[in-house]
Amino acid sequence: MNKIMYLEFERCIGCRSCQAACRECGGHDAKERNYVEYVDFFESRQTYPMLCMQCKDPACARVCPANAIQITEDGVVLSAMEEKCIGCRNCTFGCPFGIPKFDFEENKMYKCDMCYDRTQHDIAPMCASVCPSDAIRFIDFDEMQALRRRRTQMNLIEGKKPTEQDKWQYVPEFFGVYSD
Amino acid sequence: MTQFLAKEGVKNLHREGEKLITTHCCYCGMQCGMHIRLNEKTGKVVGVEPRYDWPVTLGKMCPKGVTAYQTVDHEERITTPLIKKNGQFVKASWDEALDLIEKNFKELQSKHGKDALSVYGGVSMTNEKCYLVGKYARVGLGTRFVDYNGRFCMSSAAGGFMKTLGTDRGSTLPWTELEHTDCFFISGWNAAECLPTSIQWLWKARDKGAKMIVADPRETQIARLADVHLDLKSGTDSALANGMLHIIIRDGYVDEEYVNERCNNYDELKELVKTFTPEYTSQLTGVSVEKIEKAATIYGKSPRSVVMFCRGIEQQRKGVDNVCTYTSMALLRGQIGKFASGVSTVTGQGNGQGGREHGQKADALPGYRKIADPEHVKYVAGVWGIQPEEMPKAGVSAFEMFDEIQNGNIRAMHVMCSNPAVSAPNTEYVWDSFRKLDFMVVSDFFMSETAEFADVILPATTWAEDEGTTTNLEGRVIRIRKVKDPIGESKTDWEIMKAIAERMGKGSFFPYENVPQIWEEFRLASKGGKADYYGITYDRIDKEDGVFWPCPSEDHPGTPTMFKEKFDTPNGKANLATVAWQEPAEVPSANYPHTLTTGRVVFHYLSGTQTRRVKFLMEQCPLPYAELHPELASQYNLVNGDKIKLTTPRSSMVLDVRLTKAIRNDHVFVPYHWGKELSVNQLTNPALDPTSRMPEIKVCAVKIEKA
Repeated sequence: MNKIMYLEFERCIGCRSCQAACRECGGHDAKERNYVEYVDFFESRQTYPMLCMQCKDPACARVCPANAIQITEDGVVLSAMEEKCIGCRNCTFGCPFGIPKFDFEENKMYKCDMCYDRTQHDIAPMCASVCPSDAIRFIDFDEMQALRRRRTQMNLIEGKKPTEQDKWQYVPEFFGVYSD
Repeated sequence: MTQFLAKEGVKNLHREGEKLITTHCCYCGMQCGMHIRLNEKTGKVVGVEPRYDWPVTLGKMCPKGVTAYQTVDHEERITTPLIKKNGQFVKASWDEALDLIEKNFKELQSKHGKDALSVYGGVSMTNEKCYLVGKYARVGLGTRFVDYNGRFCMSSAAGGFMKTLGTDRGSTLPWTELEHTDCFFISGWNAAECLPTSIQWLWKARDKGAKMIVADPRETQIARLADVHLDLKSGTDSALANGMLHIIIRDGYVDEEYVNERCNNYDELKELVKTFTPEYTSQLTGVSVEKIEKAATIYGKSPRSVVMFCRGIEQQRKGVDNVCTYTSMALLRGQIGKFASGVSTVTGQGNGQGGREHGQKADALPGYRKIADPEHVKYVAGVWGIQPEEMPKAGVSAFEMFDEIQNGNIRAMHVMCSNPAVSAPNTEYVWDSFRKLDFMVVSDFFMSETAEFADVILPATTWAEDEGTTTNLEGRVIRIRKVKDPIGESKTDWEIMKAIAERMGKGSFFPYENVPQIWEEFRLASKGGKADYYGITYDRIDKEDGVFWPCPSEDHPGTPTMFKEKFDTPNGKANLATVAWQEPAEVPSANYPHTLTTGRVVFHYLSGTQTRRVKFLMEQCPLPYAELHPELASQYNLVNGDKIKLTTPRSSMVLDVRLTKAIRNDHVFVPYHWGKELSVNQLTNPALDPTSRMPEIKVCAVKIEKA
């Protein structure tokens, strides 16, 4: 995989297209694996998308007693293997982002697999494909770096101070996160 | 029948056993490009694949677009004709249904005259069908009463553009240029919810430093990020625009050379806006003086700017005036006819642009011709093969047709591709009118609220079961492809019109075997008109990613940017608007102390006939609600989730409360996509614009009670 998943939270317009599109991915069983939340609807309409960060050393996989959560060579943390998942829900408790969902009827977990059938061929995952506001993007590394530089420049012009915090320790090289 | 047209180098996921068919979404005017996935074995539509190479939307889709395919093989589709017997719909054959229609139509016409029949069209259909609606009414049925749901959609924009610029093309510039603009002045357009895929262009421009000014009573997603949010009261747009014009003139931001060369009425305009000082404007609109000054300065200083507006300013009693004044802002700055600048309305319906140009309107004929002009009648009569004197006179606008029903002049109606039982204002009056009809035919593919009033329902097809062209909000003519054959016994709208025309003895005027034949006739009918499609062919659309009208000949490149040299008015100059202040038809009073405004949510489309049947969309937004500011709510002791009763002089309804500070504290907002007792249009005001006959759906006075 030569591309980067890149999120810009403040671009989100809350349309939930990414969720509708997630259901359309082959093998997703018409169940979405991503989230769109209001920050606080009482205050404003700001929303943000949330999807699996594909952690380098994923807590969900580490706490899985059945080794059902596989990690591909390029680092994508897949949804639980149907034949291995024992439905213990450890992963849903272990994930710091609250990403894995649990299907009580099928008694198994399901989570974002970054549309691996698409991304392994460098085709954008469904959420990033449809996102009308480019809050979720699937782009080249260079493009991401240019965007970040550009953002920082704009922030300097507009008088905002860029903050980075420690998010880069969480996520792998192919996952960019930007927020003010 | 079908084709997959991805450009070289564009990767799509192409699954085995599936065919991808290149087309566009069925919903709004953005007409997002998409591929529909068809299972080759079962022939069923199974999903959607982004169309990354469509230049206007680049594969992006809103949740309605992503799920649009689910309506095609939907279990609630009407698949056979239905006839109402003793209040119940019973399945019938096409012959039975057509027999009944023929008998009633002929009887009513012999008893009450030709004009006893009427046709109520819609513009979520292809150009070919929209064109045919006018011909079907005037030639097939011989009635003058034909109009369409665009009266509640685009008619004010059309009226305003005709008045100021001479031709009504929704956008004077191609939207792919938007990213290069320096300033957006947006009014009455909830872009993020109504046309989500347009956001990419706004955000791209903002990434380059473009400024954004948004006028809206609610702090919508785009208003929240705007440089200035002009939180005006509903129905005060003409005052705000005049106030902006005042500052633009006062501070010397006028492009004098452009205005002198290309505009009429500049002196009158100067005189008129003299009184609209920031203080006076602030008093009328409720926007602070600082914000008005800041917005006008940003707009006035921007070298390239686009003024954009939508139903918020148009669905008012003075919708045309609002369009004219906002357009004048662009004219004073010399923006129209240039790169990455201009003025644009935002077409709500898929073919809102194409559908309003070709004779579905009560007073219009194909190519923006007028029934009042004998030359125009002569030309179109020639194309249709009738005598000019056989052409019926102009009819009345959509909402006025209901008055004609009440007066007993219209006795029967054929509704196509429309659901006025939800979308018209003062719906109880509309419902009563439907009950008064002697005979009513509805063509639809779902049981809409309007269809429930019908005597005969004819099963129409979805957009994926027929081919044709639409014109998107830019004025770009694009192709809709047929994905699969119609399900059950359903027929396309053009086949239905043809069948009824045949029964009425007018079959020789409708000799079409397929859609391209209609297209050829339609090109000819539009030839020489303002909206000239003559040079556009299906091949050119495929090769050139759509063709912009006017395009008078096959070697003409089309017209992405309008009015580069001159305007289409008689003297080639644009008419600046001189609009005096006028209150909305209903202002808050002691009995009805607040303002009610309506609008859309991202999950539903128009009257919701389609989107209310899609699972994902209904999960997100199952019911309408009343959005109000906590400050207003506290006066009535309301908290989130309480029930409130809203009452206007028309009617009342009960809704759940949703509190947010992202709305003016004297306004209530309710989305309108639901029918019957959930329809907010029970409450809205049918005061009509004198020019466009657009009802004032966006503003009325309302009383709040805790329910």
